[in-house]
Amino acid sequence: MVAVVTGGSGSGKSEYAENLACSLAKGPLFYIATMMPFDGECEKKIKRHRDLRKEKNFITKECYVNMKSLSFTKEDTVLLECMSNLAANEMYADDGAKEKAYEAITEGIKALSESCGNLIVVTNEVFSDGCDYGEEMDAYIRLLGTVNQYMAGIADEVTEVVYGIPIRHKKKEEAE
Amino acid sequence: MEFIIGGMCQGKLAYAKEHYNLAGKKIVDGETCTLEELEEADVVYRFHLFLARELSDPSKAGNQTYFEALINRMEEGKPEKIIISDEIGYGIVPVDKTDRMVREQTGRICCYLAKRAKRVIRVVCGIGTVIKG
Repeated sequence: MVAVVTGGSGSGKSEYAENLACSLAKGPLFYIATMMPFDGECEKKIKRHRDLRKEKNFITKECYVNMKSLSFTKEDTVLLECMSNLAANEMYADDGAKEKAYEAITEGIKALSESCGNLIVVTNEVFSDGCDYGEEMDAYIRLLGTVNQYMAGIADEVTEVVYGIPIRHKKKEEAE
Repeated sequence: MEFIIGGMCQGKLAYAKEHYNLAGKKIVDGETCTLEELEEADVVYRFHLFLARELSDPSKAGNQTYFEALINRMEEGKPEKIIISDEIGYGIVPVDKTDRMVREQTGRICCYLAKRAKRVIRVVCGIGTVIKG
C-alpha cells in the first residue's frame, strides 16, 4: 500500500508516519532520510528524529536525490521522510535533477511504490501563509504542491496530521 | 479543556462565543495576559502569541517540559478552560532562526495541548469541525 502523511510544522506527522510504518511492517522496515546535514540545526533535527525512531528498528538509508537508484523487495516497508527536503534537493543540490525535478521525483516515487510492499511518504503543508517569496520560492512551492497531488493520486491513503490528530482525506476502500 | 484552532481571522473566538456560554467568564488575550491571568482565565485566545512571548525567553525556548507543566496547571485549575490558538505551521519555513524555532515549538506544544484536551475543534471560515472528542 502507498500512504501519504502530511501536516504543518511541529504537527506530529513524523511520529504518526513512523507508527503507521511499524503497524504495516511484516518484514524489514526501512527509513529513507532525505535531509542533508549542512549545518548544526539540521544535525539537531536529524538527531531528534533518530531518537524518535530509536526503539522502532528502522534501517536508515540516507538518500538525498534520485530515488530511482534505490531498490527494495515486496517484503519491505519503506518510510520516506520528507518530501519537502527531497523536492529542495532535486531542485537545488549539485546532483539534483534541477528543471526535471518533478519528473525525477514522481518517477522515483512510482518506482519505490512498485518495488516495496508498503511505502509511506511524509510531506509538508507549506501552502497557506499567503506571502510572496519571489519566483524561485514560487517554483519550489509549485513543485511540492504538484508532487503532493501526484502522490495523493496513486496513494491508497492520504492523512493530514493536525497537532497529533489524524484527519483522513483519502482511503481507497471508501473511494471504491 | 477545549482547544479551538485554525488559521488567523477564521472566527475562532466568535465560534467560542456562539457555542459556549461565556457570560461572566474571564476572557484573556494571549498577546498581553500575564502568566497568572492565563492560569485563572476561562478563555484564552491568541494562545500562540502567549507562546511566542514565552519562547523569546532563551531559558524557556526548547523547554517542552516547562510548557507541558504549564498546560497541566492550566487544566488542573480550570478543567473546562477554552484555549484558542492560530495554526501557524502551514507556510514556508521562516528564514529567521528564532521565527523558525517559535513556529516549530508552538506546534509541539499544541500537540501536547491537543493530547490533553477533551475536544479539539478546527475552525475554517467560521465553521467548526470537531476533530477530536
